[in-house]
Amino acid sequence: MSHKAIKVGLTVFVLVGAFTTLLFTTLQDNLQYYKYVDEVVATSHEWQGKNLQVHGYVVPGSIAWKPNTLEYRFDLQRNGKVMRAYYTGVVPDNFKDDAEVVLTGQLTPHGFTATDMTAKCPSKYEEAPPGAAATRSS
Amino acid sequence: MASLGYYLLLAAFVTGAYAAAISVAGARRRSRRLIESGTGAFYLLMGIMLAASAVIVHAFVTGNYAIKYVQRYSDSTQSLAFKLTSYWGGLDGSIMFWVTLLAIFGSVAVYVNRERHRELIPYVVAVISVVEMFFLFLMIVHNNPFETYLTENPADGRGLSPLLQNFYMVIHPPTMYLGFVGCTIPYAFGMAALFTGYLDDSWLRAVRRWTMIAWLFLSLGLCLGMLWAYEELGWGGFWKWDPVENAGLLPWFTATAFLHSVMVQERRGMLRVWNVSLVIVTFFLTIFGTFMTRSGVVQSVHAFGEDPELARLFTAFMIATLTVSFGFVIYRLPLLRARNELDSWVSREAAFLFNNWILLFSAFFVLFATMFPTLSEAVLGAKGRITVGATFFNQWMIPIGLVLLVLTGIGPLLAWRKSTIANLRDQFLFPVASGLVAGAIVLALGIRIWSSGLCFAFAGFVVGTIAQEFWRGARVRQQTSGTDLFTAMIGLVGRNKRRYGGYLVHVGIVLLFLGFAGENFKLQETALVKPGQQVKVGDFDVRFDALKVTDDARKQAVTGYVTAFRNGTEVAKLYPARWFFRGREDEATTEVAIRRSLTGDLYIVMPDFDPGAQTATLEITVTPLINWVWFGFGVLAIGTLIALLPETAFAFAVSRVPANATRAAGTWLLLLAIVLPAAVQAQDGPVGAQAGGGLVGKSEVQRRLEHEVICMCGSSGCVRASLANCQMRPACHGHMAQTALIRKLVDEGKSHDSIIATFVAQYGQHVLDSPEDRGFNRLAWLLPYLLAGAGLVVIIVNARRWSHRPAAAASGVTPATDPALDARLDDELRDLD
Repeated sequence: MSHKAIKVGLTVFVLVGAFTTLLFTTLQDNLQYYKYVDEVVATSHEWQGKNLQVHGYVVPGSIAWKPNTLEYRFDLQRNGKVMRAYYTGVVPDNFKDDAEVVLTGQLTPHGFTATDMTAKCPSKYEEAPPGAAATRSS
Repeated sequence: MASLGYYLLLAAFVTGAYAAAISVAGARRRSRRLIESGTGAFYLLMGIMLAASAVIVHAFVTGNYAIKYVQRYSDSTQSLAFKLTSYWGGLDGSIMFWVTLLAIFGSVAVYVNRERHRELIPYVVAVISVVEMFFLFLMIVHNNPFETYLTENPADGRGLSPLLQNFYMVIHPPTMYLGFVGCTIPYAFGMAALFTGYLDDSWLRAVRRWTMIAWLFLSLGLCLGMLWAYEELGWGGFWKWDPVENAGLLPWFTATAFLHSVMVQERRGMLRVWNVSLVIVTFFLTIFGTFMTRSGVVQSVHAFGEDPELARLFTAFMIATLTVSFGFVIYRLPLLRARNELDSWVSREAAFLFNNWILLFSAFFVLFATMFPTLSEAVLGAKGRITVGATFFNQWMIPIGLVLLVLTGIGPLLAWRKSTIANLRDQFLFPVASGLVAGAIVLALGIRIWSSGLCFAFAGFVVGTIAQEFWRGARVRQQTSGTDLFTAMIGLVGRNKRRYGGYLVHVGIVLLFLGFAGENFKLQETALVKPGQQVKVGDFDVRFDALKVTDDARKQAVTGYVTAFRNGTEVAKLYPARWFFRGREDEATTEVAIRRSLTGDLYIVMPDFDPGAQTATLEITVTPLINWVWFGFGVLAIGTLIALLPETAFAFAVSRVPANATRAAGTWLLLLAIVLPAAVQAQDGPVGAQAGGGLVGKSEVQRRLEHEVICMCGSSGCVRASLANCQMRPACHGHMAQTALIRKLVDEGKSHDSIIATFVAQYGQHVLDSPEDRGFNRLAWLLPYLLAGAGLVVIIVNARRWSHRPAAAASGVTPATDPALDARLDDELRDLD
């Protein structure tokens, strides 16, 4: 093996190693588990205090809004399992009964406290063009 | 009609197969006739796709709701523009639109290069045909846009989602698709070169141009997508690292890398495997991006639905593409050996190489993070689906972006092969000084956010580099040609469009980064307000004046009236609103109100309101420097266009109208860039002031008339506003009299036209909001079109005249074109490179 090959190999090894380490250490802090409502409800004690994204459907009629604030309380369900959720902030245009939403936040004993909400358009309007964000959050 | 469309798709598929097979056969047998037949079939495919598009557009316009796709994405009340854009509103149509664009692009590329790259053409035709066949196959077996309802046909369509009914829906997807489709052309040429073994650098020349075109459209597509998000969606930002956004960014990274590394191959004959691979990867990423967003592989709130069948088809196609492409790269490795080796790490080549690594790393990082949920699920099973948020992307992409920005400034300063210490000092002195000055100003201003501060300092450095390049080049030219500095600079750009156009692109990138840096200084405040209350955000005071509910034929609007003050002086009246489209009352759209300025926007959203209590919730965001992002894209586009101009196009500008023409063109493009978003903004004005609740029982005719008839009360509050928009109502006397008259006439059963006639008889022609479409009034309608037509004629005539002039001018008017001087200039320019 030539001298040059060793040098190049070592450089590549160090660089790749450094980047991989960096990648995974930063990844640790940013991990969010992506769960459906029924999965979370089934093993709720496991998820308390972890960063979570919860995917579910708004139970019709459950949306309650404290007048003159941006505080919302509603129920999220999937496959018959229901979870209570709290959210403060501006809701997306298509947040309504039966809307498919993804909440980001943490699970507490009282329910899910969301810091971010994105709503998926119901299936009949699911289509959106590439490149355009059809969601909003605060 | 529907079956005609379907047969056209079948015909296109068969034609594509024929074109591919016969071209390859022709190339192998060296038969000119077969090759020409294949190329002819290739053009024919474009014709068939245009016909098929005509069929579906016809179905949309005439409201043929028997076709499922038409029924799903349009309805009879939609305006013509949105009926047309519904073509690409959904998955099936967008694939068809894609094939049509690819057929057009491909035909143009083949036609333009048919003589120059004769040996490659048959394979180019074959490769593009195969790609088209894949998408046609998808449509035929799986996503047929012409599918019809078997039994009862619905009377009306479901309509395009209100979220998609805006200007950007018209312009953003086609631009993005053009960018994606454009990446297929370089790939086809690259593959043709690999197939034939003509791997000298001639294929690069064909490819470079087309990559630039594709890159331009990708950039504009990204910009329009960001504008869309910013202006329509109301969260005050423009980028969320959503998978669908990332899909557009991935090929942009690799295309950018290619545009740089191609120069290394042209100059030094290095990086040949690398360049071919970049072309392949770019193409692959466009397909992969499509796959990611169409098949439901990656969870995205605005991806198309989940579709495992589609995912399988795409996977098969991608694996085949990769295997064949890289198989041939390996097979041709002996022909792709580099002619030179890297002489020094302090050289232009090395800078380009480094820039390439970083761009490629960005692409893979974004790809990795986007696919992370899917990857984690694959490794850990369904229980382990883990996602990463925007913070993770930013943590990585901000430092990467800053390094790229520095390289933008370093690259042009290094010499090819090897830079000596002396020329390093000579080259870097001014740019580094200007970077330090920018950094000092940043510190003096008390900016303590490291990413933004560094960004400003680096921006200073890059601008220093570019200014120095222009200055030195122009000096050399000025000394040899004896003109003034400005003329010399224009001539310089004209002589070396790619290089100086490229620098202009760099200026655009710097402006973009300024906009990005502004993100760190964003302020946001949410408040519940009553009329008269004020909210303070940064320099701005925002006073809420009133909440009004209005109604027109298409929607009900709740509008907040807001006055903005900056440091105590009134700067704008703003009207954030919520719109409720008829039949879609549960899907309100947010209408953002923006007050633009170069230092930053005031951005107001009204997420909630209570008409009874007259209160509203306002979300007020101050987004500093954001407009520089759009300006940056504008400059970038101008720079790319300059680099793209054919040799002859600049000849007239250089010889005849050195300063004015180019400057005027630049100004116009800039104006266009400013006006376009402004035009979109127009819809955010007040929808009219009408007391809520007074709308019950109004007939359609009456509502229409109230918009067509001007309030004649003559008060300052409603100067030539239509009845529905009169600011003085409902107490305004003129308004009441006129509305009463309309109601009376409507109740009497008078038709719309006869009521108009009555009003004209009573008040005169000026009672109408827009002149009636008859007689002399037609002129008012026609005038704008006439003006536009005349302008076009003027432009064409001038362009023709200018481009003919140089031959005549050279005969004696410009003695500056001395061959000896020219040769000297060429030499010195070469040294500069």
